[in-house]
Amino acid sequence: MNDLPPAVPVAASTHAVDFEYAFWYITAAVTVGSLAVFGALLYFCVAHRRGAEGTGSTPRILGSVRLELAWTLIPTVIFFSFFAVGAVVYSRAMRPPEDAMEVFVFGKQWMWKAQYPNGQRVIIGGNPRNMLPQEREKIGKLVLPVSTKDSRRPVRITLTSEDVIHDFGIPAFRSKMDALPGRYTTAWYEPTKVGEYHIFCDQYCGTWHSLMVGKVAVVPQDEFDRWLAGLSTAQGTEHPVDGSDAQEGRNLFLKLQCIKCHSANAEARAPVLEGLYGSRVPLKGGGAEIADEDYIRQSILKPRAKVVEGWEPVMPSYEGQLAEDDLEKVVRYIKSLRRGTTPDRTDRMPAPVGAPAERSPQAPPSSPEKK
Amino acid sequence: MTPTANPRVQGVPGLTPPPPEPPPASPNYLENGTSLWSWLSTVDHKRIGILYLLTISAVFVLGGVAAGLVRLNLVTYNSGILSEDAYNRAFTAHGVLMLFFFLIPAVPAVLGNFLIPMMIGAKDLAFPKLNLASWYVFLVGLVFGAWAILNGGIDTGWTLYPPYSTRGSQSSVVPGVVGVFVSGFSSIMTGLNILVTVHKMRAPGMTWGRLPLFVWSLYATSLIQLLGTPVVAITLILLGVERVTGEGIFDPAIGGDPVLFQHLFWFYSHPAVYIMILPGFGVVSEVITCFSRKNIFGYHAVAWSSMGIAVVGFLLWAHHMFVAGISYYSALLFSFLSMLVAVPSAIKVFNWTATLYRGSITFQAPMLFVIGFIILFTVGGVTGLFLATLGTDIHLHDTYFVVAHFHFVMVGGMVLGYMAGLHFWWPKMTGRMYSDWWSRVSAAIIIVGFFLTFVPQFYIGYHGIPRRYPNYPPEFQIYHVLSTAGASILGLGYLIPALYLPLSLFYGEKAGANPWSATGLEWASPSPPPVFNFDEERMPVVVCGPYEYALGIDQLGRGLPEPPGPGGAEGPAGRAGVTGPAGPMQKETEVVG
Repeated sequence: MNDLPPAVPVAASTHAVDFEYAFWYITAAVTVGSLAVFGALLYFCVAHRRGAEGTGSTPRILGSVRLELAWTLIPTVIFFSFFAVGAVVYSRAMRPPEDAMEVFVFGKQWMWKAQYPNGQRVIIGGNPRNMLPQEREKIGKLVLPVSTKDSRRPVRITLTSEDVIHDFGIPAFRSKMDALPGRYTTAWYEPTKVGEYHIFCDQYCGTWHSLMVGKVAVVPQDEFDRWLAGLSTAQGTEHPVDGSDAQEGRNLFLKLQCIKCHSANAEARAPVLEGLYGSRVPLKGGGAEIADEDYIRQSILKPRAKVVEGWEPVMPSYEGQLAEDDLEKVVRYIKSLRRGTTPDRTDRMPAPVGAPAERSPQAPPSSPEKK
Repeated sequence: MTPTANPRVQGVPGLTPPPPEPPPASPNYLENGTSLWSWLSTVDHKRIGILYLLTISAVFVLGGVAAGLVRLNLVTYNSGILSEDAYNRAFTAHGVLMLFFFLIPAVPAVLGNFLIPMMIGAKDLAFPKLNLASWYVFLVGLVFGAWAILNGGIDTGWTLYPPYSTRGSQSSVVPGVVGVFVSGFSSIMTGLNILVTVHKMRAPGMTWGRLPLFVWSLYATSLIQLLGTPVVAITLILLGVERVTGEGIFDPAIGGDPVLFQHLFWFYSHPAVYIMILPGFGVVSEVITCFSRKNIFGYHAVAWSSMGIAVVGFLLWAHHMFVAGISYYSALLFSFLSMLVAVPSAIKVFNWTATLYRGSITFQAPMLFVIGFIILFTVGGVTGLFLATLGTDIHLHDTYFVVAHFHFVMVGGMVLGYMAGLHFWWPKMTGRMYSDWWSRVSAAIIIVGFFLTFVPQFYIGYHGIPRRYPNYPPEFQIYHVLSTAGASILGLGYLIPALYLPLSLFYGEKAGANPWSATGLEWASPSPPPVFNFDEERMPVVVCGPYEYALGIDQLGRGLPEPPGPGGAEGPAGRAGVTGPAGPMQKETEVVG
């Protein structure tokens, strides 16, 4: 058996706290009411059971208007109080604040795609038909900033679906909203606890409905900012996030043939750039320099000005060849390059997670490796 | 078990002696032709009830097997036994069979068919041939359903939400939809028949205020069947048309609206849950009065709350759609209206409990099932409040909390109500008594097994585990294992009646006309009843309300025989002449509260 979940599920958003108040209020009220009924039932069953010594004669009691009124009106009032509490919680959950960051999420069988305001995208889940079980381990996460008392960071999720009805549910936030094809629905969260939580598809959507799951990663604001810049792997995959500047820089890096020399293999004619950013670079002819953005930019535009110790100045200048915004993207990409992520020269872009693979389909991840 | 008149009562002023045991009917309805054709062509409401009983029992077994597959697969957290496709087909088969082919016809078509004419003192239902036709129509629907299952099954869930059901699903949606569509007509026919019969064929003296509450509850049920079922029929036709012709009705990709389907579907399917539960309420009212020897507490409150549920039940369908993209204001409205329907259900529970007050209670199997009903239905009812409340529903929606809630109502409530009714009227239907001990054991096992099955599901639902998930986070495995363990106990509980009830037909003690000493007209007729229920020369004339247990008279004004249980004719109370043909007619009505 596995570790048990906590008795009360994590409440990781402001709405989750609202929910818990409403939930326990109703629980307390109905428990008292039900126990009163069960108590009376049990008492009558014991006290008025027909014993061998008891009487079989019963009183002719037809009812009581006063009692009927009491047990009509009192429950009605209590039930309406549930309605009122629920309506307050619901109103808060349905009305995102004006300043909420908008994340666009759409579902399709059987994955989610989230798109951030800067165009950055994360894929959550994936079609199990086309994925290896180990690939599912590396599916993306919805990265959200945590709110603190001083800085609220509400997130508004706009949902739609590409095919059938799905439902984007995050139990830790006590939130759920259907993703319908052909229209937008919204949910919003104000995550209050750093951590990783389940995302479930809650509306039955076909064969692998139960694998249309993923994680939401709530991270501190500074890490979220770094992640938005393509510098953090909070999304759970090692490649720059689909749609980020760094990822577009990577496309340019391949297109401009930078990879021809700055490759990780033996024929490399230029230094590999993994982990370059922020490191200390020894220069040919003595001296060294910290590789900051400006150094990287200079090295692209005027490559022969500062040549790295041990290499020949063979790189052509890209001055005038790269528009300023493209240059920025390449710099961002180089900043984001981590150990072991230099692409192969022949690499095309890796297919999006869950896209049809060029290998024979594998068994869906349900069957292998049981605990 | 044959009731005997208490000789000591004779001559005591003010006591009405019980009537003599009526002579056995010759022929009774079972003996009136024994060929297969005599059954297949019968227009006798009692025989048709038996035909329904056999049919839905088979469906219950099939649906139970599907449930067993689902529960077995959930022992593993990664769908280790069935493939995902097979699991999806299994839970859909379970839902479709149990809801459309078991719960909806269970009490109305079996017990209702059998008992409504007898309870109101009629020879048969108003339209006997329509009644037989309804069974054949039901069979045709069932054949289509069986075709869908044999043809690979349906994988859409019983809710059939488009666009998945019209575009995405590769399974036998069309035969399944046709099956449900056709069986709906059977439901309409039964409902119509019962409505007309109750209006037009009541015996002299059987005023509306003297109707047994079982009749009231079936009257309310029939109203829903008659008004609601056509809507689901239209919806299913539209669904089939879209799937077959590609005409855009619900699929937004071709110009439709998927939320429209949900509105239409739930406009029927929410009232349909009252089709399923209201007849159970009726059974409870009959049984609880008989086994506590009391008048029902608040006859009018119980009767009118059934009607209230039937009417208000039509006004709250969209509480299934709080997170489906309906408008904020309609969500508020439907939440508010959903709270209203909880009130009449609560009223019923309070009245049943109050009925027990100062009763003379015995605990034969029907009573045990009814006590189980009240407890489980109360749990199911109050957990429904969490789902009617907007703020809590947006987390609990589509989780195991919902699954546990409606199983508490539908299985804990309705199936136990059905079992109670079956055990209560079994001697009337067959003329035989079943094993008292085994029936009590089975009731206890079913109630315990039920709790073990569904209480863990409330817990994992609160944790947000979605329904229809063969793969789920491993940390919740223990709760699914517990639930499956409970389900196997529950299954055992159902297996026991499947043995002792048929065995009672051959080995059971012969039952008298009124083995429970109950007041209803159906007990005035011998067991099993004659073909036309009551003798030609002695048509019933009703003189009083249905539950005069305190006075000790039945609805014909005759004394009641000795009730079974401790302290009978030979007990001290019996010797004092106070049980059985009990209190004197002039007993004062007591006022409480």
